[in-house]
Amino acid sequence: MRGLLISDFNINNLSSYLKKEPNAPVIDSVTTCYGEVFQTLLDDTAPCWSARPDFVVVWTRPEAVLEEFRTLLDCRSANRNDLKGQVDAFSAGLRRASERTQAIFVPTWVIPPFHQTQGLLDLSSASGIARALMQINMRLLETLDGVPTVHPLWTDKWIQLAGPTAFNQRLWYLGKIRFSNDVFKAAARDLKSALRGLGGRARKVIILDLDDILWGGIVGETGWQGITLGGHDPAGEALVDFQRELKALARRGILLAIASKNDESIATEAIAKHPEMVLKMDDFAGWRINWRDKAANIVDLMTELNLGLDSAVFVDDSPVERARVREALPQLFVPNWPSDKRLYTEALLSLDCFDSPLLTEEDRQRVRMCAVDRARKDSKRKVGDLEEWLATLKTTVRVEELNQGNLPRAAQLLNKTNQMNLSTRRMSEADFHAWARAEGRRVWTFRVSDKFGDSGLTGIVSLELAGTRARIIDFVLSCRVIGRKIEEAMLFVAIECARSAGVREVDVTYCQTPKNKPCYAFFQRSGLTHRGENAFVWDAARPYRLGHGIRLVCDGALEETSADINHSELTTSDHLR
Amino acid sequence: MKPTKEELMGIIYESLEEVNEQLPNDQRIQKSPDAILVGRAGGLDSLGFVNFIALVEEKCAHKYGITVSLAEASSSEDAALEDVERFADSLFQRLSEAIPDV
Repeated sequence: MRGLLISDFNINNLSSYLKKEPNAPVIDSVTTCYGEVFQTLLDDTAPCWSARPDFVVVWTRPEAVLEEFRTLLDCRSANRNDLKGQVDAFSAGLRRASERTQAIFVPTWVIPPFHQTQGLLDLSSASGIARALMQINMRLLETLDGVPTVHPLWTDKWIQLAGPTAFNQRLWYLGKIRFSNDVFKAAARDLKSALRGLGGRARKVIILDLDDILWGGIVGETGWQGITLGGHDPAGEALVDFQRELKALARRGILLAIASKNDESIATEAIAKHPEMVLKMDDFAGWRINWRDKAANIVDLMTELNLGLDSAVFVDDSPVERARVREALPQLFVPNWPSDKRLYTEALLSLDCFDSPLLTEEDRQRVRMCAVDRARKDSKRKVGDLEEWLATLKTTVRVEELNQGNLPRAAQLLNKTNQMNLSTRRMSEADFHAWARAEGRRVWTFRVSDKFGDSGLTGIVSLELAGTRARIIDFVLSCRVIGRKIEEAMLFVAIECARSAGVREVDVTYCQTPKNKPCYAFFQRSGLTHRGENAFVWDAARPYRLGHGIRLVCDGALEETSADINHSELTTSDHLR
Repeated sequence: MKPTKEELMGIIYESLEEVNEQLPNDQRIQKSPDAILVGRAGGLDSLGFVNFIALVEEKCAHKYGITVSLAEASSSEDAALEDVERFADSLFQRLSEAIPDV
């Protein structure tokens, strides 16, 4: 990836750490001359923008970019309205520059502690520097709210991690380097984590051991009454806190799962009956509690969850189990884990692999959706025939054109989905929206629900119309709903739109990645003619068949493009004619 | 407490380790007395050298409670700072002068 670092101080050390930090992505960054912040933000023609950077970091000192703040530091009276206006001007510069890259990261403003020596006056309304610092940061955040490509980052965290020498006066006077290298290292880690999140490469699952991870002791030996959890015990209290943090992560859409060598009945009894268990079985997306090899269990579990091994983190207290899983499944992230249970929460919260640019309703509901998936799979086992089973689901697919309301989730899906993804394009919200608005392009989103529950917005299709041909550009479906005839419904919508526009053929080109074989497999069985290695085509003279039992609900805007799809409810392709 | 040459070599190597974290593998400075620090024959670039001397200053201040400014030396006595051994000698001399005999 190519980064551009803009600062009013020497930021080359950050550039070095971004390059050297071992975790993905690999970053090459260039820095602008320090002190040219506004010029660089506002000048579209500056050479640094000629090769469009993948991301930009704009890291400034408040006294360097806000004149009124400098005035305050000099203990002169500052005009608060002018100060706000200067923050707004800085924010406007960021918004303008955001059109030239996929992501701008803006570390919040900090000042060294020696600038906060006014004692009682530090927080006073008239001249308090600490108070003004809070206000300018809040103002900056508020003015950047709703700008999807600008991501403020919390500098205070890096300062705290670096300790008392975070502001290094030696480096400042020797080389105009504002911070110690520990600050830059922490910033590099967080930036990389954020870039992984934006690129859809954040981890999605935490697979947990039970004994000496969720509780202290061996439940198979002591029974649930004998395990250490809660109570007036340092380790017990720490483990309750650890479970609380895990539950909080689950609310952010990170799935929890169990891989434990235990008797399942004994372990699940402990989870159900121990009064201090914060996590219940419903909080887990899946589990393998048996005496098999953990690596094999994890592969099995991830297959059940329809997720790649590189989506998971494995937490186990045993160095032997960790080494075994690390060796057998190198894609899995297996962090070293402290032996002291009081440090578990800190270790969990230090994992910088769950970063996500936004939290959607689908994320919040993910654990519940997994429980629904389990119920759905149980019912599949009861009804042997696939077609028969699909018909029992009473699936509704709601189609909606891309709009401001569904854009954040659609962009998230575009950037996170690997398996059912035709082109695997990664684009920012703004870029995706701009792309979709160009003439001849259509983008639809698909929400899926059935008798078991709502899976949320889980599909995207985009179509490019050019004369007598149309091309499906994006065909993206969450792995949660693959294989339930949603794919056919998505194809149906795209083809019907193309047909109504007078297109003769609809083209599909599969762009192979290491992970999107399921997409290729779908198009192979889709009924489209396989033309060339990765090309498929549909003769638009013929309608495409919608799967039986699928109820397709098309919202408003779709009606404009397809005279045929102008019903509020469709149940089979017959309804289209 | 007067420093010993061995202690100062330890401080220099620790500092080099930290500076090396930022450098490409083929530009890392070896932890050996004859490793070139600065100069025409290779070594650190100006930013790397600034990082290095700031680290050495900081570690000396922490260990001996004495602030020694190597920045001035870096401009006036380049030859004395050219390799690890000579840098350590120069540092030893400066600290010995700055720390009074007990």
